[in-house]
Amino acid sequence: MRHFALTIIGRDRAGIVSEVTGILYQLGCNIADSSCSILGGQFSMILIISHPEMQNQTTLSEAFAVLEQSGLSVFLRTLKPGGEERPDLQGEICMISVYGADKPGIVYRVARELGDRQINITDLNTKLIGEKEAPVYVMMIEAILTAGMTVEDVEQWMTALKNEMNVDISVRSITPLEL
Amino acid sequence: MAVKEVLLYPHPALKEICNPVTCWDDSVQQLLQDLVDTMIDAGHSVGVAAPQINDMRRAVVVDVSKSKLGKKQENHGLLQMVNPQIIERDGQTLVREGCMSVPDYTGNVMRAERIVVQFQDENQQLQVISAEGFEAIAIQHELDHLDGYLFLDRVSSLKTDLFRRK
Repeated sequence: MRHFALTIIGRDRAGIVSEVTGILYQLGCNIADSSCSILGGQFSMILIISHPEMQNQTTLSEAFAVLEQSGLSVFLRTLKPGGEERPDLQGEICMISVYGADKPGIVYRVARELGDRQINITDLNTKLIGEKEAPVYVMMIEAILTAGMTVEDVEQWMTALKNEMNVDISVRSITPLEL
Repeated sequence: MAVKEVLLYPHPALKEICNPVTCWDDSVQQLLQDLVDTMIDAGHSVGVAAPQINDMRRAVVVDVSKSKLGKKQENHGLLQMVNPQIIERDGQTLVREGCMSVPDYTGNVMRAERIVVQFQDENQQLQVISAEGFEAIAIQHELDHLDGYLFLDRVSSLKTDLFRRK
């Protein structure tokens, strides 16, 4: 079955999810994984969808044209076979909280420390909070440590960065309790 | 000794309210043994509830002493609990849980930090114990199964919830 990645973003208002999923339902599409949230004043939807027969994205694009006219931006991509399969990520999951006075490079510097060590980021959220005069940047990262790596290792790398960037960083294990 | 198959949602047994054990015959002992065997067979998971092996009686087993996290904390080792009831709860903690009956998904669940639970043990003796930390969480999770609750019914925040509170 062919899978597609669908991204929709536009000024937030009531009814966006209903309009988007209405179109998908009419077409006979399935929604597999999805994540939707408000970012700034924009509602953004990211969905992996599939259709039992549809081989190319033309029909989808045509069906979503009406949404674009209503001010939503729609992006569509056909996934290569197997692109919908979630990799089996093994390893300790850790949460890294980074916060401090807003300055350029917070995301990049933290991500570089992780990327250079082949640590896979599986979730990342950032938000600018606080007063306009003194904005505070908050970032939450979920990452899967590679074999043999410990939360203490990450803490150590982050301590160096903490001093360099003058931000607060804490690291903790959030590996789910298997019950 | 019997390792039973752990039922997966959407098996209807996982959404049923279980019945109190009133008749203490050999089958109760057998059920507890099956629960223990199944728990150990599942890579020594930390607990199994009777409905997970398709038995609708109020019985669970919990043992956090073999798990990496449980070892670090005070615990009661193997607990075989019949007709268990939480009689006191204290504190709140947010934990990410997974469940053998709902594979490939985890969620943040609010649980009491400390509990007092009463139950009948494998010798039919009434026990009252207080548990905390991982053991308390495991007991709450397993007892939920006896009322047809899965952790999915208890998820209290999305991963990004932190940003949603104003």
